[in-house]
Parts: sequence; structure tokens; C-alpha cells
Amino acid sequence: MSLSHVARAVTGAIRTVSLAAALAFAPQAMAAVAAPAPAAPVAAAPVAAEPAPAVSSAPAAAAAAAPVDKGSYTPMKPTEGKGQPVAKGVTFQDQYSPIGEEALAMHDYLLMPVITVISLFVLFLLLFVMVRFRRGANPVASKTSHNTTIEIIWTVVPVLILVVIAVPSIRLLAHQYAPAPKGALTVKATGYQWYWGYTYPDNGGFEVISNILPDAEALKRGEQPQLAVDNRMVVPAGEPIRLQTTGSDVIHAFAVPSLWFKLDAVPGKINEKVLFIKEPGVYYGQCSELCGARHGYMPIVVEALPRAKFEEWVKTQGGTVGAPATATAAAAPAKTTPAA
Amino acid sequence: MALVLDAGNRRNRKVAAMATFGALAMLGLGFASVPLYRMFCQATGFGGTTMRATEAQAAAIKQSARPITIRFDGNVTKGLPWEFRPEQVTQDGHIGERKMAFFIAKNTSNRPIVGRAIFNVTPEQTGAYFHKIQCFCFNEQRLEPGEQVRMPVIYYVDPEILNDPNAKDVTEITLSYTFMEAADGGTGSTTSAPKN
Amino acid sequence: MASIPAHEGFDAHHDHAHEHDHKPAFFQRWFMSTNHKDIGTLYLIFAIIAGIIGGGVSGIMRAELAHPGIQYLGWWTHFLGGNDQDFNATLHLWNVLITAHGLIMVFFMVMPALIGGFGNWFVPLMIGAPDMAFPRMNNISFWLTVSGFCSLMISAFMPGGTGMGAGTGWTVYAPLSTSGSVGPAVDFAIFSLHLAGAGSILGAINFITTIFNMRAPGMTLHKMPLFVWSMLVTAFLLLLSLPVLAAAITMLLTDRNFGTTFFNPAGGGDPVLYQHLFWFFGHPEVYIMILPGFGIISQIISTFSKKPVFGYLGMAYAMVAIGAVGFIVWAHHMYTTGLDVNTKMYFTAATMVIAVPTGIKIFSWIATMWGGSLEFKSPLVWAIGFIFLFTVGGVTGVVLANGGIDDNLQDTYYVVAHFHYVLSLGAVTSLFAGFYYWFPKMSGRMHSELLSHLHFWVFFIGVNLIFFPMHFLGVQGMPRRYPDYAPAFEYWNTIASYGYTVMAASMVIFFINIAYSLVAGKKAAGNYWGEGATTLEWTLSSPPPFHQFETLPVIEDAHAH
Repeated sequence: MSLSHVARAVTGAIRTVSLAAALAFAPQAMAAVAAPAPAAPVAAAPVAAEPAPAVSSAPAAAAAAAPVDKGSYTPMKPTEGKGQPVAKGVTFQDQYSPIGEEALAMHDYLLMPVITVISLFVLFLLLFVMVRFRRGANPVASKTSHNTTIEIIWTVVPVLILVVIAVPSIRLLAHQYAPAPKGALTVKATGYQWYWGYTYPDNGGFEVISNILPDAEALKRGEQPQLAVDNRMVVPAGEPIRLQTTGSDVIHAFAVPSLWFKLDAVPGKINEKVLFIKEPGVYYGQCSELCGARHGYMPIVVEALPRAKFEEWVKTQGGTVGAPATATAAAAPAKTTPAA
Repeated sequence: MALVLDAGNRRNRKVAAMATFGALAMLGLGFASVPLYRMFCQATGFGGTTMRATEAQAAAIKQSARPITIRFDGNVTKGLPWEFRPEQVTQDGHIGERKMAFFIAKNTSNRPIVGRAIFNVTPEQTGAYFHKIQCFCFNEQRLEPGEQVRMPVIYYVDPEILNDPNAKDVTEITLSYTFMEAADGGTGSTTSAPKN
Repeated sequence: MASIPAHEGFDAHHDHAHEHDHKPAFFQRWFMSTNHKDIGTLYLIFAIIAGIIGGGVSGIMRAELAHPGIQYLGWWTHFLGGNDQDFNATLHLWNVLITAHGLIMVFFMVMPALIGGFGNWFVPLMIGAPDMAFPRMNNISFWLTVSGFCSLMISAFMPGGTGMGAGTGWTVYAPLSTSGSVGPAVDFAIFSLHLAGAGSILGAINFITTIFNMRAPGMTLHKMPLFVWSMLVTAFLLLLSLPVLAAAITMLLTDRNFGTTFFNPAGGGDPVLYQHLFWFFGHPEVYIMILPGFGIISQIISTFSKKPVFGYLGMAYAMVAIGAVGFIVWAHHMYTTGLDVNTKMYFTAATMVIAVPTGIKIFSWIATMWGGSLEFKSPLVWAIGFIFLFTVGGVTGVVLANGGIDDNLQDTYYVVAHFHYVLSLGAVTSLFAGFYYWFPKMSGRMHSELLSHLHFWVFFIGVNLIFFPMHFLGVQGMPRRYPDYAPAFEYWNTIASYGYTVMAASMVIFFINIAYSLVAGKKAAGNYWGEGATTLEWTLSSPPPFHQFETLPVIEDAHAH
């Protein structure tokens, strides 16, 4: 077990070094193009955050040489009952995203009343016929076996109820699929067997490796066992985030119940959805697609911070802030390069 | 009586044969779904499948004034000892404008490896409008030990996207590639990308 | 091939027409059986054995989940011959358990009991046929199912990647089931599905032929009892959906063993396509498990209300509609795989449509009881329990149908609660209802009504204790297929595990009841339920003669339903 952690750490370190090497070679690439793209800023060197062994108490700081401003970050203490399940809870977790609020309202004020009323109505009818038409009360059975009116009613009324449900349901879907605005921060969550990696392409492309904390360590930090991780996915609050997911080996699913967010991480494919967290906080989730032995041991922790604090955190990871990571290539000259 | 039973027997045989035919047809459909699904995705852009355009098709496209940003993303699956990343994270352009972007791949192992890039775009509904004219993903790529290449993709976004109510508001499209080791260890269609 | 047994079967029957109840010798009778009632009995015994194993597996699961932490998995890993020093192997056992529980309960308990057991026993009796159309093929179906079960059991002792056994979930999603599970365990599990699936397809062909061709004179399609209608629709669903599963899992096998890339992106395949194929089978499959239950419930409600079924044609065609719509809603199991907005909207709308014919059935059952003279024998009590439990499972299905709501509930315990309410509390309740309805007919001995009622109430309390709290766990966000969980989830998990012990106690009552009836049960009359029981099986003795309907019954008007 610890061996695999060591192996992962070594791989991560090798990747860091070799990526830096790759970058060093990059500017020499392809002289044939009229206007070669400028190399990415130096600071953009992808720093694979050290995959800290699960026992490490401090969040792994970027080891590589970083710019002068190293930023600052202290993991936020979770608020009890916020962004995580509560003992004996019987309702959805409180929602901290607009989509979550809309969906929760639809569930609480439309779906729950409808299904409760239907269930109670059926229960009432059953109890009524059991009492009214028991043999003692009704010794001779009627022979009625048709009544067109009632049959039409119990076909049409459910259709109407479903239409009433379908309208807000379709609207909710439309809202969930509203595309992210231009310039929204992009975060890529990659599912590995069995941990998550969070890549920030707009901030230099560093990847944060996130492993589950042992129960004792989680308790020490004031977090629920099975839900806490060493390195969290830190994002800004109060702005749309383009969250992309992909899998490295098998299918995983990135899920955070209090943000009404779940998206499969499929190998060879990227999925995307907008995540908007209304206020700072720590939000817990867990992998939600069976992915092998430790499927239950790769939780997700999203920490939303005010923009300024988020940028401080980015610096601690060796990432860049503000400077456009965009390296706009000149318009491609027509027909110069044989692609293959 | 025997005559009646024989007639029943023949009828049974006929119904059973029809049922068996139905089952075999569904079995065939199950296997046929693999190419059918691929064709369906390629025709409709389902699941963010991109389109492939010829030079002639591309030449007929008029650039629109609407700006659009393309994001680039590169992944390798577990077990493939390559590094792979886009040279530029984003590229600003216009709908209908032909652009070129580069990806960098390096084989970090000490054996030659044939890789195959699979891809999709997000949001999914933009797949039908994202056209590639040239791409390193059209062929398998063979990298020698330690070799690094810079690979181009030439693309444009079809102005038809502006007529699709589900896709017209998209301001950034992400083009994502994942390199995998070619399943059969590489075929004859392999070509080398430009080297440095 | 299929027609020869029928021919011989009929000849044999013809030859022995005068030896009234000639039965073959033991081995011949039970291992080479071509008699639909004997095969039905074999299926029921097999389903009970498989149910004990599948239920035992869920007992291990509920024990493990009673409290946070890993308590028993290590011991079981050791017990089953695995390496309990390797934590991954221990956790892998969990995945093996959930996989085995799902596959056993679906393919080797519910389907054999409802279709192989009650279907074989009562479809020929209810339509006035001497036997199934292809008696020998019927025998092959049964032994294929048994072989499938053996293959699944063997897989538990084969290496499956991180531990022993197939830990892929009953859905066997690629790539976890291909590159993610090295070793022969998954191959054996897949082969088990091949065998069970082949058996079911042959059975479906047999039922379709029997129902179309072997009805007694005057028994038109629109006079068939609703149980026969339910089996007809079920047989069509099997016939059209199982081959798709067969194709999908065959491609998994070749991806695993022969280097094909049907679901491997590295060769141009797509793992999401496997999910489409699986659920194209998987959604009809859930109707395959519940439609025969619908049929049983209709017979029982009618019998004990002493009334014909209300809205017979609506009931029959509601099942046809459910079956048909069942084929075009599969992707509601895949809402989080990255479907585009239009696809998700379509599947949301289509899925909700299913609520309409289902509602017609629920209300028609109540309308059948309305105006009736209800006699609360145990089958009716089970049937009323079914209607309520199935309604609860059905309405949570309407919640889950909404793609936007499902984004939070997908793969949580809410889904587990939903499908156990429709299957464990729905299909299984209908199984027990049918069992108490027909057991004396099959065995010739009356069960104890007291124990049957007691069994119902203990079972009802137990399963509700297990599964109702799972809704709470689901909305709180507990993912399914987890061997361990955060402390916040403990309370409801502990209650669910208590519920399991209650449910297990009800099973003890069930077995005592069977033992009692076989040892000391009163002899059952031909029609022990009285005037309400009007279908053809009640015109025969209990148990019916080894060969029945030597003279085909003629159905008069207004007889059938």
C-alpha cells in the first residue's frame, strides 16, 4: 500500500522533471511554420504537486522553484452541516449553487408533494376498499368490470401531472446546460485509480493530486473520516467555473451533493459542465461510479475561496495568476503544414 | 389425432422460427451497433464528436464576425509513457476562421511506441460544427525512444453553429485529445509527425 | 431442432393416454424432465436456493455496513481463500459481493422463479394446453440456467484483478470489466450471463409459441388470463433485449481475451457505447422482472374480490405499452455520462410516460377490489402490500426520471432504495403472493394461513426498515457500492441493518411454513380458493395430473377473465 504511494510520488517527480525538459525543447519546434507560437511563459511550467503520502499532515507545497511571490494558503476549516452530510439527515444537503437551489426547490415544492400525495392517495384507496368492501361488509360482489369515464380520468390526470412536472424539469435541464461565459476559470478533474487530480490550465497547468486522509488524520483536522483529502480542489467562489472531467484508467464520477454536481470521468473523453459556488466554504463529495477496489476511498473536497485568496493559493502551487496563459498563435497560414 | 398434432407441430415450428429470427436480428443489431454508433456520432456530432472537412469544404466557409475561443487539452491514459500537452492553452479567433494549433508529444520510454489520439469537444453540442481539416489524430503516431514532436491541427468552427439555439451562445469550445497506445501495436497507416 | 421434442412429447402423451398419471423414474423425471410442471418445480427450487445465497450475500453486506469502518470483509476474504493481508483484496471482495448479489437476484432468483417457475407451471394450465410447445427445449433452458449459476459461483474463486472474483458490478461496465479486471473471474461471470441468457431466450421462444399456438379452443388472445398476457409481453421483452446483452458481453469477452477494441478507445471503440447496449437490455430487463408480478397480482386481486379484473383490455395493453416504451428510455440510466441537453430532455420526457400505463394498472387493481367481496387470505394480503410498495417505488422513479434532479441522485442510495422498492419489495412480494396463491395447487398440501400472514407482516416491516432509510442516505449523498462511509451516514445504515435481521426472520417463517405444509398440511382441494378462482388451473386436481387436459377444455364466453 505505501509502496504504491512511493511509486506514485516517484512517477510524479519524474513527470515534473521531464515536463520541464520538454518545455525547454519546445521553442525549437517546427521552424516550418511562418509564425511559430511563442513558448508558454516560464512560470507556466506544470508542477505536478507531490502526491503526498496519505499520512502527510501539510498540504503538499510545490517543490519546484517558484516565482518570488509564493502566495499563502491555510486549508479552511469546514463548517458543521455545510457542504457535507449530517447525522440522521433526511433531506438533501443545503445547496450552494444556483442550479442546486433551483433543483432542490423543484424537488421540495413540486416532486415531493406530488409523490407524497399520490402515495397517500393510493394508500387511502387501499385502506378504504379493504374496509368498505371486506366480505363482512359487502357479501355479494358486484360484476362491474368497465367504466370508460373513470378509465379516461385515470389516464388523463396522470398525463396532466406529468406535464406539470415536465415543464420545470426541462427548464432545469436547459439551465444546467447554459454554456460557461468567456473567460470562466477552467479546472480539469482527472479520475485515477484511486485518487483525483485537479489541473488548472489557465493558471500554468499545474496538477494537484488529491488523496484520501486516514481517518485519524481527518478527525484531527476536524473533518469527517472517509471524506477528507490531503490536497483540496481550490476554486474561486461567486463565479462560474468550467469544470471538465476525464478518466485516466476506468470510469469515475466527480460528484459533490451540496453543489448538485455529478459528472462521469470517462477515459478518452472530456466532459464539461458549469459549476457555480455561491459562497466560500468546504464542500465534500465522493467518487460515484464503481471504479475498482478503492472506489469508496477517493473522496472529493472542493474549497471555494474569495477570488483574491484563490489567487494566493494558486501561487503556493507555483501557478500563474492574471497573465493570460493564452499564447495566441497567429492565424494559421493556409496549406503550409502537412498534418500527417 | 396424429394429423392434428402434426399440423400443430408445423405451426409451432413456424412461430419458433420467427421468434428465433427476431432474436438473431437483435443479436446482429447488437454487434452492428458498434459501427452504427460510430457513424451516428460522426454524422451528428453526438458526444462531442468532431467533423472532418476537406480542403474544398473548408474553402467554401465564410468567416463571421463572431469571436470564439478554442481551448486545448491533452491527456495520456495510464500506462502510456508519453508526455502530451497543447502548446497553447487557448486560441482566440472567429467563427468560420481557419486556425492552426500545436500539440507537443514526447516518448519518455526507451522503446518506440505507436500512439493513437482520440478526441472530443465540449460542450458536446458543438461537435457537429467543429471541423478539422488536418489533424495528427487522423493517423497513428509513432515516436522513437525519447523523441519529441510538435503536431499541428487545422480547424474551423462552422458558422452554422449560429443557427443552433443550443450551441449559438457557446463562447469557448474545448478540443481535447487523449493519447493511448494503439491497441494493435500500430498498423501500416502510421505516419510520423514533423520532428524537431 | 426445436420441433422434435414437441412431436415426441405429444406421442408419448398419446401412447400413455390410458395410464392416467404415469410418471417416469426419479432420475428420468427430475434430470431429463420434459414435463412443464416438473420443470417449473425445478425452477422454483433452484430460485429458492439461489435466493438463499443471494440473500446471504446481502446479509454480509448489511452486517459490514451496520457501522463505519471495515469489520467483516477481512474475515470473509480469508474464509473464501483470498489474501486478507492485502487491503485492496479485502475491498475487492466488497465489489464481488455487490456484483454477485445483483446478478444472482436478477438472473438466478427473480427471473427463474417468476418466468421459469410460475410461468412454466401456469401458462399451459391457464390456456388449457397439455404442456409447453417444446418440452425438451424447456429442459435445456433450465439446465443452461443452472450451468450459468455454477459459472458465476466458480468466478468467485478465480483471480479478478485486485482480488478474487468479479468485482465489476452487475452492469459490467467497460473499461473496469476489460482492462480494469485482469484474470479469469470476469470471463466466468460473463459466461454465466451467456448461459443464463441463452436459457432465457430459449424459454421466451417456448412461451411465445405455446401462447400463440396451444391455447384451448375458444381461448382467444383477449380471453387469456392476465398472467398469460404478462408472460407473453415478458417473453417478447426477453427475446428482443437479451440478444443485445449477449452481443455486448460477447464483445466484452473478445475485448478482454482476443485484443478486439469494441469498447476500447485505443482501437476506435467507445466505453460509453457499452453502457448504451447494456441499458438497452437493462431497462426492459426490469420490466421482465416486474411484468409477471403484475400478472400474478391481477389474478389474485380478481380471485379474492370475486370479481373479474376491472378494465381487462386496458390492463393487457398497459403491459404491452410498458414493454414497448421500455425499449426507448434506456439512457435515463446514463444521465451523468455526458449526454447533450437534447438527449437528456428526450429521455426525461420518455421516461415519465411510463408512469401513465403503470398508473392505469394500479388504479385498475383498486377498481377491481372496489365493489368486491374481499376475503383476506394470505395471497390478497401480499397483493395489497405489493400495490402499496410498488407505488412507493414507482413515484421515486418519477423523481429519478428528471435528468436535472438525477444529477444529484445518480449512483446514490436513493437509486438503491428506488429499485429495491420496485424489485425487492415489488417483484419479490409478488413472488410470495403467487407462492401462497399457487403453492397448494403445486404441492397438493395447504400451507398455514397464520404463518403466511405472519410472514407478510414481518417481511413488510423488515424490508421497509431496510429500504426506506436508504432514501434518506441517498438524498444526503451516500454513494452506492461503498463498503465504508462517513460517520454522518451511520444512523440510517444501522437501522437498515436491523431491518435486515427482521426480514431474515420472516424468511425463517417462510421455510417453517413450507416444511409444515409438506409434513402436516391438509390435502388441498382442486379449487381451494372458491368461487373467485375462475381460471383453468382451478378446474384440475391439486396437484394437477402429470398429464393434464387430455381432452382440450373448451372455453365458453365470459369464462376466461
